[in-house]
Amino acid sequence: MTAPAQVAHWFHALSDETRVRIVEMLSHKERCVCELEQVLEIAQSKLSFHLKVLKDAGLIADRREGRWMFYGLQRETLDQIAAYTKSVKPGKHAGSCAVACCD
Amino acid sequence: MRRLWLLRMAKHWPKIRPGLPPLPHALHLEMAHVAQWFHAASDTTRLSILEFLSQRDRSVGELSQIVSAPQSTISYHLKVLKESGLVDESRAGRHRYYSLRGETLDNMIAFTRTVGPGTHRGTCPLTCCTSPLTYQENLIRFGP
Repeated sequence: MTAPAQVAHWFHALSDETRVRIVEMLSHKERCVCELEQVLEIAQSKLSFHLKVLKDAGLIADRREGRWMFYGLQRETLDQIAAYTKSVKPGKHAGSCAVACCD
Repeated sequence: MRRLWLLRMAKHWPKIRPGLPPLPHALHLEMAHVAQWFHAASDTTRLSILEFLSQRDRSVGELSQIVSAPQSTISYHLKVLKESGLVDESRAGRHRYYSLRGETLDNMIAFTRTVGPGTHRGTCPLTCCTSPLTYQENLIRFGP
């Protein structure tokens, strides 16, 4: 079971509309900041901030190519998010709570 | 009258481009909704509430006992969860019980699946998706 703080961190990264759109765009292929900026129509400073939040949560990884930074999605983190969400589905309780029912 | 109405509807009906399937993507989830679900789950207290609710339906009092937080805090967090559609409320006599909504969790899983690298289905406004030729190529490469 992953630490709750880590899980909260992942979900926080996806809790903004702009960041969800960035993730969608990156699902196609790696993209450079220039492409993202052009499509999302937001200032580069804002974009950098959102990319940093996503990067800190481990959802995306960057790669430098010459002058440009390319951003790509991290499949493992998405899989972990899906796995966590699956584990809390109703009736799927894994028995991790500190109450009598789980002892 | 009815005929006129139908004609008007047909006129404004979204045209399906010949040879191209309608754009399927991320279950056509509204971005704002996706962000709201993930926002609801982005707090450690709310996450523990979710975990406790995943076993069975519980009342506020029970939850505040387990999480050891005041009832008002739990009520607030439950409100956030309810507004984003992660939790349902039901009444039994004087008590209110809260339960998880499986659909929303399924939708969240579906979202992480549809944005997995290589599963893009051609919705971004760049040339790769808007030009029909590249869209077809993507279909061949990634499947429908």
